[in-house]
Amino acid sequence: MINVLFFGPVAERAGVRQISLNFREGLRWQDVRDTLRVRHPEAFEIVSIVAVNGQRVGEQDASLLADGAEVVFMSAFSGG
Amino acid sequence: MIDAVRLQTEDFSLDAEVATLRAGSKRIGGISTFLGCARDFSGEREVHEIAFDAYHGMALAELTRIRDEAIARFSLIDARIVHRLGTVRAGENIVLIVVGAEHRAPAFDACRWLIDELKARAPIWKKEVSPQGESWVTPHP
Repeated sequence: MINVLFFGPVAERAGVRQISLNFREGLRWQDVRDTLRVRHPEAFEIVSIVAVNGQRVGEQDASLLADGAEVVFMSAFSGG
Repeated sequence: MIDAVRLQTEDFSLDAEVATLRAGSKRIGGISTFLGCARDFSGEREVHEIAFDAYHGMALAELTRIRDEAIARFSLIDARIVHRLGTVRAGENIVLIVVGAEHRAPAFDACRWLIDELKARAPIWKKEVSPQGESWVTPHP
C-alpha cells in the first residue's frame, strides 16, 4: 500500500487526512498526485510541497516508490 | 533531561527552558530568546484562538536539523526549540527559541535565523478562529 497523508488546509479541502492506495511496481509520487488530483482538485490547488517518507521531493525526482511508502501533499507552511 | 526540540500541546515555561540551557554550560556569555505569542487580531478581525496542525514526524526531524545547523553555523553552546500544537488561545504562547553563545552577537543572530528557518521549513500550519469564522493562515514575512 501507499499511505497518503494530508494536513492543515489541504486536509480540510480534501475532507480526509489519510488515503491508502494500492501499490504497483513502477509507481512514482507524481502518479499518486495525478490519481488523487482528479478526486480532490480543490485540495491540490494549494499543494506546493511534497514529501516522500519524510523527505521533500521535487517535480524532477523520478525515484520509484516502495511498497509501504508515505507520500504527503502539503501547502505552504505557516507555523511559528 | 527534557528534549531540546519539542512539539507539544501543553504550554511551556520560558524560565524553565532558559534554566535548562544555562545548567548545561558555564561558558555561556549571552542568551537570546524569541517567544511567539497568539495575537487577538488579524487584520480587522478578532481572533479568539489559533489551531495548529503538523506533520509531526517531519516537523520534529526538521526542527532538530535546524537546531543542529544553527549550533554549527553560529558556534552556539546550546539551543532549544519548543512549538505548541493543538489549540492556543489568544494571548498564549506559541513558540519559544532559546539560544546560548559565548557572546551576544551570535546569540541574537542565531535566534533570528532559527525562527525564520522554522517558519520556512517546519511542516506546521495554523488556522485562526474568529467570531466571523475560521481561516488558514497563508505565510508572510
